[in-house]
Amino acid sequence: MSSPRLELTAPHDEPVLIFQRAFAASAALVFQAWTEPEHLRHWRAPRGFELVTCEVDLRVGGGYRFVHRAPDGSRHAFRGQYQRIERPRLLVSTLIYEAAPATEALDEVTFEDTGGTTLVTGRTAFPTFQARELYAAGGAERGLAQCHARLDELLAASAPLPREGRRQ
Amino acid sequence: MKTATDELSTTFAALADPTRRAILERLRAGEATLGELAEPFGMSLQAVALHLKVLERSGLITRGRVAQTRPARLAPDPLDHAAQWLLRYREFWEGSFSRLDGYLEEMRKDAGPS
Repeated sequence: MSSPRLELTAPHDEPVLIFQRAFAASAALVFQAWTEPEHLRHWRAPRGFELVTCEVDLRVGGGYRFVHRAPDGSRHAFRGQYQRIERPRLLVSTLIYEAAPATEALDEVTFEDTGGTTLVTGRTAFPTFQARELYAAGGAERGLAQCHARLDELLAASAPLPREGRRQ
Repeated sequence: MKTATDELSTTFAALADPTRRAILERLRAGEATLGELAEPFGMSLQAVALHLKVLERSGLITRGRVAQTRPARLAPDPLDHAAQWLLRYREFWEGSFSRLDGYLEEMRKDAGPS
């Protein structure tokens, strides 16, 4: 079975990034996997990456921090604070990529249970278009070429992934 | 040396202005002259000319050589670059989500038959 499609939207007229993805599980289960460190460790980084730090204080005003180690050894840290928690439907938090700590984004994730399948929509609003671009490209100073080199490594490291759904 | 990220920053700085984005939208329909672009925005020719200069410098548009009108048209390359910065983001989440698919299955088994 091929994976459900990941829909990504990066509008030209608003500095937001939106993803949408369906999961074959109840919203209660997906929400749990999304918010509890013992579960997050099992999935919240692609193969080849490692989630070396995963701290979650799931209450309004509580913080979280994730640190990923990329296949090239570089570390990427993200942190934020929970602003709204409506289990298992909604999670709103701030988001700071520590490589650009002056830039705070707002992250809103909704979990829509449609009878056994859960549609997850993530919307991240950035203060500027540049902040959005730098966040998605994974750090300013590294440059896109290096990101792509890393991407190639990642692709090579995760060869068993189904070809479909990789690049469209 | 101009890096790929510099180029992207120039592209996004150019895209940050709503009038310039509207001009790009208009140019999707085909090339247009300064006068044709100024009219719907109710702007002076000079103001539109400045926006076109920014767009041209960022490589988002090219201008024709016809001396009188120099019609503007979209240049495809920088926007393709702009699409590429999403690739890494997409890879990250696609990789993570395909793991989550498998992991949710495990969680469900652990929870026993519902």
